[in-house]
Amino acid sequence: MNAINHIAILVAKDLRIEGRTRQTMGLILILGILIVSVLGLGLSSNPQVAALGAPAILWVAYLFSGVLCFEKTMAVERQDGALAGLLLAPIDRSVIYAAKLITNLLLMVTTAAVITAVGLLFFNFSLAAAPLGFVLIIAMGMIGFAAIGTLFSALVSSTRLQGGFLAMIVFPLILPLVIASTQQINALFNSSAQTPGGTGLAILVAFDVIFLVVSWIVFELVLEP
Amino acid sequence: MMLAPPISQTPAAADATPSAAAAVCAKGLCKTIDDRPILRNLDLAIPTGQFIALLGANGAGKSTLLKILSTLLAPTAGTLELFGLSARRDAASIRARIGLIGHQSMLYGDLSPLENLVFFGRLYNVETPRDRALHLLTLLGLKDRAEDPVKSFSRGMAQRVSIARALMHDPAILLADEPFAGLDAPSTAVLERVLRNLHDAGKTILLANHDIAQSLRLAQRAVILKNGEKIIDAPADTLDADHILFRMERDGA
Repeated sequence: MNAINHIAILVAKDLRIEGRTRQTMGLILILGILIVSVLGLGLSSNPQVAALGAPAILWVAYLFSGVLCFEKTMAVERQDGALAGLLLAPIDRSVIYAAKLITNLLLMVTTAAVITAVGLLFFNFSLAAAPLGFVLIIAMGMIGFAAIGTLFSALVSSTRLQGGFLAMIVFPLILPLVIASTQQINALFNSSAQTPGGTGLAILVAFDVIFLVVSWIVFELVLEP
Repeated sequence: MMLAPPISQTPAAADATPSAAAAVCAKGLCKTIDDRPILRNLDLAIPTGQFIALLGANGAGKSTLLKILSTLLAPTAGTLELFGLSARRDAASIRARIGLIGHQSMLYGDLSPLENLVFFGRLYNVETPRDRALHLLTLLGLKDRAEDPVKSFSRGMAQRVSIARALMHDPAILLADEPFAGLDAPSTAVLERVLRNLHDAGKTILLANHDIAQSLRLAQRAVILKNGEKIIDAPADTLDADHILFRMERDGA
């Protein structure tokens, strides 16, 4: 119960800072919208290809804006050594991980909602066939992505290897997750199936579980003041 | 400005927990970073309530020692106990009794002092964090700026908020790593008064400082490090600043 309370305190702090500065949301929204806009305009001459490629293009936007989100939320902890203040508190390191993961997820999901809305306009892509299935698949992909991104943002932020390095580490790791998610969405909207299922869904669940558990365990080792 | 005993919430006798164990008991502490020895076989025993000045040239190992004592860093070798608790096994319990003032403020610049202090107070399960924060900010002369963002503060003001952060949970031991660095005269006077009041309230204080004369004036005992080794450990009133400086400089830092 105390851990949940501490997670809530940490998330509230992150959201308060974000609400005040709007630094992270502003940046990741602009980047995400820019990506779907540029690619959407590029494919606008061929609506069929655009509709087929929509899930993949949306994921490209989610990925880049997500990585920026991880970097920004962790940078808040590095300014003026605030992370050391957190590490001095009598709370478990995994609480810090959980809080940062939830903050990242909240920001990413909010951004994804806007990016997706913009993407649908450009890609002639309708969610009407299975809106809940789409949300479920994207959410599952986001959880795995945020799990691994939060872990590695902590690792990279303690080194001098910043500015794109996080993307270089995280993107290859989550590739299976993105492929599975994209295939599931394509299956959902290009066949008669109304609910996701099969191997793709199993891969999403498996990766989420593995990434969450491993990151939770490893986070303590990579967190340095 | 008077900094009366209320800066600490616990009377001196209540700090002798558990079982009146020494505040710090370090044996054979070693720390190696990138194959470079920072601390070498350091023994240090600090009774509860003692005020110790930790002196040494840059790179002597003062900051590393304070980070190890605060459980932020793990020693490469050796054993460390604080208040009878093992730093390896009981780190969370130890952290609840430690206050650390470092080179950096460890604050969130976009939050106000009050928001910062309430946030950290809640992490330490302080019962009435807002009241405690306002009390400390009043004592440190920052009540009028309690709602302004910390990023708008001068170095001295941010340092005062940082001191309040370190004291929010009424720690039994205060580790201060060059807290006077960059402070103006009024802020220095405030901090000196805070340290004296904390010592009077029975708190254990370990102060790493470059000002030898100031350290000897404030502390009961001085420990001087050189190249990660303890070269002097003696009552402060038996030591002379010139002699310490000579010992620190001899054979290079």
